[in-house]
Amino acid sequence: MTEITQRRTTWKKLDARVRTILPFSLTVTVLLFGMTPTYVPGLAQITPMYTLVAVYFWAIYRPDLLGYGLGFAIGVLEDLLTGAPLGVGTLVLLLIQWVVFNQHKFFHAKPFVITWFAFGLVAFGAVLLKWVGVGLVSSSGPTPFGDVFASYLITVAVYPIIAWLFSKVRSGLLDEP
Amino acid sequence: MKQPTGQISRLGTFKYLAQRFAFLSLIGLTFALMLIGKADTVIVERVSMAVSDAVTPILRVMAEPAASISKFVTNVQELGAIREQNTDLREINARLLEWQAVAQKLENENRQLRALLGTVNEPEARAVSARVVADYGGAFAQSVLITAGGRDGVAKGQAVVTGEGLTGRVAQAGYRSARVLLITDINSRIPVRVGEAGDRAILTGNNSPRPRLIFLGVKSAISPGDRVVTSGDAGAFPPGLPVGRVVVADESSALIEPFVSRDRLQYVEVLDFGLTGFLADTDGPQ
Repeated sequence: MTEITQRRTTWKKLDARVRTILPFSLTVTVLLFGMTPTYVPGLAQITPMYTLVAVYFWAIYRPDLLGYGLGFAIGVLEDLLTGAPLGVGTLVLLLIQWVVFNQHKFFHAKPFVITWFAFGLVAFGAVLLKWVGVGLVSSSGPTPFGDVFASYLITVAVYPIIAWLFSKVRSGLLDEP
Repeated sequence: MKQPTGQISRLGTFKYLAQRFAFLSLIGLTFALMLIGKADTVIVERVSMAVSDAVTPILRVMAEPAASISKFVTNVQELGAIREQNTDLREINARLLEWQAVAQKLENENRQLRALLGTVNEPEARAVSARVVADYGGAFAQSVLITAGGRDGVAKGQAVVTGEGLTGRVAQAGYRSARVLLITDINSRIPVRVGEAGDRAILTGNNSPRPRLIFLGVKSAISPGDRVVTSGDAGAFPPGLPVGRVVVADESSALIEPFVSRDRLQYVEVLDFGLTGFLADTDGPQ
């Protein structure tokens, strides 16, 4: 009898543990998803920056499950994988978290359209900062801004899709009573 | 559940301070990373390739559906145009047969002349085929991850090609994966020759689909349509690999359209000519 209850609690603990790392693992999944080749002409150039969406979303809705530490880890992972100058993407993600955490009252429990609009603003700052950062750190000068801006627009455009998927996961698995 | 308010506020302050401390120290760490990335590319490369090696199996699986869909779409598209294509191919075939005869004649002649002169044959390339499983970086970097690495003999600096022409070069080689820096990346520099005159130039990537030519000597008349091939200077690449075609040429600059498109990369070949040029040791992707 005690063994069964013990086993049950172990499972419960494991279950809770898996749930707490969901935001992080989902973010890594969309990061990897963004890297898979689509073979659509012209798309590789302007791939959406999925990590901006993911980090922003979790910073608003579950800041307890994706704090600065994990934000840093995601940034380093992305920088290492993409071959972009190390640290620049990481800095951008941390600053997004900082802005959202500090303006929590503004971001929290707002209608979707407002959150989306706010994402547009935050992401623009983030992309601009990344563009300047990459230009400064890389020895070959700045990347053409046109493609970066197109990539920004696509990122804002995919926000509702990712946010919808994440909020399904959130309401189904994370916010249980 | 009610708790004394003092405890809550103390807990709150503590949490706030801890968070603030975490944020500031991580920002500091980020700047340290930037410095390390600039100063010591060897460590960064090693870590980066270890990470790539680890995620390659996952990416390989994730790339499968997109590849299948792409194959299906291409099949359907081709089915529609199959009749026209057939006529075109017949014409091309007839033309190519003529070219083949010319090429054979020239090859024979070439061999005889070489024998007369006693030239040493160029080294034969050893080729490794690999699949492209990830297209990295979006607008900020142009590189792809391939499923061949050190265990297959892939090493830094080797040329990567497809049937169409030069794709890029191996920038980092892990154990089972390697990162290929495309010729369009902002860090890519390839010594090339342009047109029939063979003007020497450096093909410089700028993260846009059309890399720029920087001429080393006097630029003779270069016009749109001129072919660009690798020059083999500095021992970086074997000479004569097709790279692209000049699309814009004016007084100050020339832009080229590469033969290889980033969007259609599915399989590539890594060529090992046994050359260890300057690219192997210097300019990393950072």
